Amino acid sequence: MATEARSAVRAARRSDLQALADLRMRFLGEVAHAEPRLRLLADARARTEQTLPVWMGQDDRILIVAEGEASGEDDAAAPIVGYAMGLFSTVPPVLRHTHVGEILEIYVLPDVRGKGLAGALLDVLTEALTGRGAEVLRAAAPIAGNADVARIERAGYQPLQYVLERRLDTV
Amino acid sequence: MEGVPIRNARRGDIPSLLLLWNAMMKEISATDSRFALHARAQEHQTAQFQRWLQDEKHLIVVAEEGGRLITGFAIASVTAGNGWQIPVRVGRISDIYVAAPRRRQGVARRLTGRLLDLLYETGVGTVRLSVAVGNDGAHAFWRSMGWDDLEVVLQKGVEPGQETAPGA
Ligand SMILES: CC(C)(COP(=O)(O)OP(=O)(O)OC[C@H]1O[C@@H](n2cnc3c(N)ncnc32)[C@H](O)[C@@H]1OP(=O)(O)O)[C@@H](O)C(=O)NCCC(=O)NCCS
Repeated sequence: MATEARSAVRAARRSDLQALADLRMRFLGEVAHAEPRLRLLADARARTEQTLPVWMGQDDRILIVAEGEASGEDDAAAPIVGYAMGLFSTVPPVLRHTHVGEILEIYVLPDVRGKGLAGALLDVLTEALTGRGAEVLRAAAPIAGNADVARIERAGYQPLQYVLERRLDTV
Repeated sequence: MEGVPIRNARRGDIPSLLLLWNAMMKEISATDSRFALHARAQEHQTAQFQRWLQDEKHLIVVAEEGGRLITGFAIASVTAGNGWQIPVRVGRISDIYVAAPRRRQGVARRLTGRLLDLLYETGVGTVRLSVAVGNDGAHAFWRSMGWDDLEVVLQKGVEPGQETAPGA
């Protein structure tokens, strides 16, 4: 299953932009549902549509997609059922490792979950970031989305930091 | 009881700030080697303190005893949100440290209170910060001050045998 899932993953193309924007909004919507402190701004969709083409052209950003099964009709393109985004950064010399690969977003549509696609996206993203020279890889997940944290841990990541929040209007 | 005075940091405080910053990093990395410093960290941090003290988006406060001894400091900044999730602007506390012999006397509570007042004045409604997973004392401190966990950041080293989480 892992090899099959992996062969469904490829680099994102310009022709994926609309589908990617849809997937990203679903991803952000699910995060907001699980963690209301990360709910969406009103113009999140417009900003996503503006920003995706810019990201796609950046060398340090990696955008990959997972294809589903084609409908069977002649020439019908396989639909995009998942995506992942990563960023390679060189951070200031405070901690020992300055070449950091960040796993920013991974999403797979609910009806194709459990087939190893998220794992395949994470593997391909990890390889791409390592290939760029990342010495450490980091991923953040809302505490409320326990399943995401567990999946990242299964991929060999270990908790590093907690992010805490406080609203000032309750001070 | 009157607490130790808290004031905004100034250029003359940089040597004390560096001393305390080093002590903070040494303490954090002693329990988790993933926080070990880069060889150029001192040089970088000195330049940061100089820059931040002139930058109105950075706030540095210190606790000063007897008008001359700095026993604690805290740093915050104001940044834009990511553009799709709330908040639109976010305050971030990046550092806080109280010299070990002065702990549990409410110094960090006062440093934080001052920073939050300053952040509130800038119109920020949400403040975030990060705590190392093994830093139970700091985690307990923030939770006692009404902070809640939001996210966990996970890390994986690329080289086999690279440093791991404490207790792993
Ligand atoms: C975390 C730190 C800043 C707290 O400073 P402090 O001046 O001792 O904190 P305060 O006295 O203001 O504590 C206020 C309350 O927080 C809680 N608290 C503080 N330190 C605690 C600890 N080690 N364990 C459990 N609770 C703690 C207590 O409820 C305390 O009230 P109490 O003393 O009446 O019980 C200090 O321990 C420190 O400098 N640690 C090393 C650096 C560090 O970890 N920085 C944090 C990076 S996020």
